[in-house]
Amino acid sequence: MASLLPRATKRLRLSPPSGFVCHDCRRAFGSSVCQSQQQQPAPSQHVSQSEKTTHFGFETVAEELKASRVRTVFSSVAANYDTMNDLMSLGIHRLWKDHFVRSLNPGIRPASTASSPQATPGQTILDIAGGTGDIALRLLDHATTINHDPRTNVIISDINPEMLAEGRKRFATSPYYSTSTNRRVSFLEANAEDLSAIVSNSIDLYTVAFGIRNFTHKQVALQEAFRVLKPGGVFACLEFTPRLSNPLMNGIYKRWSFGAIPLIGQVVAADRESYQYLVESIERFPSQSEFAGMIEEAGFMVPGGERGVEGELESGWEDLSLGIAAIHKGVKPVSR
Amino acid sequence: MALRTILRAPAAVRPLLIQPRALYHSYEHNEPPPYRDAESAILSSALAHVPLHGFTEEALSLGAKEAGYLDISSNLFPKGAFDLVTYHLVTQRLGLKDRIQFHDEKIGVGRKVRSLVLERLRANVDAGVVGRWQEALALMSLGENIPRSLKELSGLSDEIWFLAGDMSVDTSWYTKRATLAGIYAATEIYQTTDQSTEFRDTEQFLDRRLEESRVAGSAVGNTLEWIGFQGGAMVNLMRSKGARI
Ligand SMILES: C[S@@+](CC[C@H](N)C(=O)[O-])C[C@H]1O[C@@H](n2cnc3c(N)ncnc32)[C@H](O)[C@@H]1O
Ligand SMILES: C[S@@+](CC[C@H](N)C(=O)[O-])C[C@H]1O[C@@H](n2cnc3c(N)ncnc32)[C@H](O)[C@@H]1O
Repeated sequence: MASLLPRATKRLRLSPPSGFVCHDCRRAFGSSVCQSQQQQPAPSQHVSQSEKTTHFGFETVAEELKASRVRTVFSSVAANYDTMNDLMSLGIHRLWKDHFVRSLNPGIRPASTASSPQATPGQTILDIAGGTGDIALRLLDHATTINHDPRTNVIISDINPEMLAEGRKRFATSPYYSTSTNRRVSFLEANAEDLSAIVSNSIDLYTVAFGIRNFTHKQVALQEAFRVLKPGGVFACLEFTPRLSNPLMNGIYKRWSFGAIPLIGQVVAADRESYQYLVESIERFPSQSEFAGMIEEAGFMVPGGERGVEGELESGWEDLSLGIAAIHKGVKPVSR
Repeated sequence: MALRTILRAPAAVRPLLIQPRALYHSYEHNEPPPYRDAESAILSSALAHVPLHGFTEEALSLGAKEAGYLDISSNLFPKGAFDLVTYHLVTQRLGLKDRIQFHDEKIGVGRKVRSLVLERLRANVDAGVVGRWQEALALMSLGENIPRSLKELSGLSDEIWFLAGDMSVDTSWYTKRATLAGIYAATEIYQTTDQSTEFRDTEQFLDRRLEESRVAGSAVGNTLEWIGFQGGAMVNLMRSKGARI
């Protein structure tokens, strides 16, 4: 690792700076930077009182601007995105993604359709904010090797064409895309809040990993998810949580962060605004319980969801690494 | 018993042994139904596949599809096959009061307890899960499932005492519940290996355990043994048979 760091730093400086902020490791430096940023809030000249505004991190911006600014943030990251994630999260985000996919168990086992195995069409999975296809690749691997399902396919969708281009490049060499007879991935440029390109009741599984906190209207995105899913279909989200429930762990994270700041600081200094956005979008994301409530509000059944005395959800999600990130799921009911 | 046993028990288990009693009686409380409609529909369909497919994800998927859901819908059950086990435990505990009525007021509490235990064990036979119950026990004895399993076991014990008409509220209640839980657990394990006609041997096994508890006054240890030893042994047994546990 030690020998890796200097090289990586060099590589970072060579490429445009904005995206380096890997939200996967924002715990490492998020808190201290947030403090220093709050003292000198960025000017928000875009905002006039009458306009409808939304959050770009803690900065308030006009709604139409948010999507384009989010796009800018991720555009400059695209090429280095996966390398960055790995370097900065020390691989942890991979373990979470592995777990996320394993727990979903995508693919249809041949045995469960013993009567007519040939006829099984496989599942149609929609990976929203799919970026460079990290989740999609795992979904296909799991379906194929664990469930021996060669038909399940994934639509990778992202608002950002550059991210999708990276994904295409990556899949070009994989068995899931290289053969033109059985292409199991397709790419769709779309805003998660408007999936009009996708027919209602057509998707088995909707996944979104580290994406939903960037959406301007999260509830609208959830409603779109509900619409496109088949009855019985599953919504699944992997996302950072705004704060660790355990204060001890929070402390440990801060300690670790001091070691990481010198490296990251160089990167950050070059484009504070993008960096700040990524960190703050996490701080603004609803708590696990609130988010589970939003999923229910969209019409889903939340697995294992139990209510406390005040009607708030007390369970129905899975905390990862003591609550740094969490997995939320929802199942669209079959109406009878 | 109480204190010594409670302190000997693993920390996760202790609160279950000293829970206040009001939690479980199906009769006193009008509890909200423990499962949502969709969950009941899927799980009850899935149980019908247990005789053939065991307590597995496979049974769960088949149940889901029968209820109009998809393969992927089994994500509704975070604990997978163990949720299927729990469903059987909960529905049979709540259903016990409808399986048996005591019309003769003169039957003693002891006789009623015996009848209720046998009736509960018969429910395993009627549901067709006896042949697969070792799998269920193996799942129940896995670390993360133990608290829930013990809660169900003491809930059943509580329900049986209640249905038998035992209204005691003194400290003997804790001993009674733990004792019966131990006896029930041991008898249920015995039942999974019983080859005799109509489970006669299980009935005799139960009678011996009940007699022992009258004489020695304690089967409390059995509960913990069941968890610690039998459970572990069961997991090994199932693994040796190739179960993925
Ligand atoms: C942090 S990346 C996550 C990529 C990938 N899912 C992963 O886990 O590695 C976030 C992605 O969300 C996309 N995104 C942001 N806002 C979006 C929106 N409104 N609709 C769809 N995608 C969006 C960005 O373009 C970016 O690719
Ligand atoms: C002998 S039973 C009396 C009621 C019985 N149904 C009868 O008429 O014979 C004595 C106790 O058993 C309990 N009990 C009887 N039926 C029950 C039921 N269906 N559910 C729960 N408890 C019951 C009650 O607590 C009652 O005090």
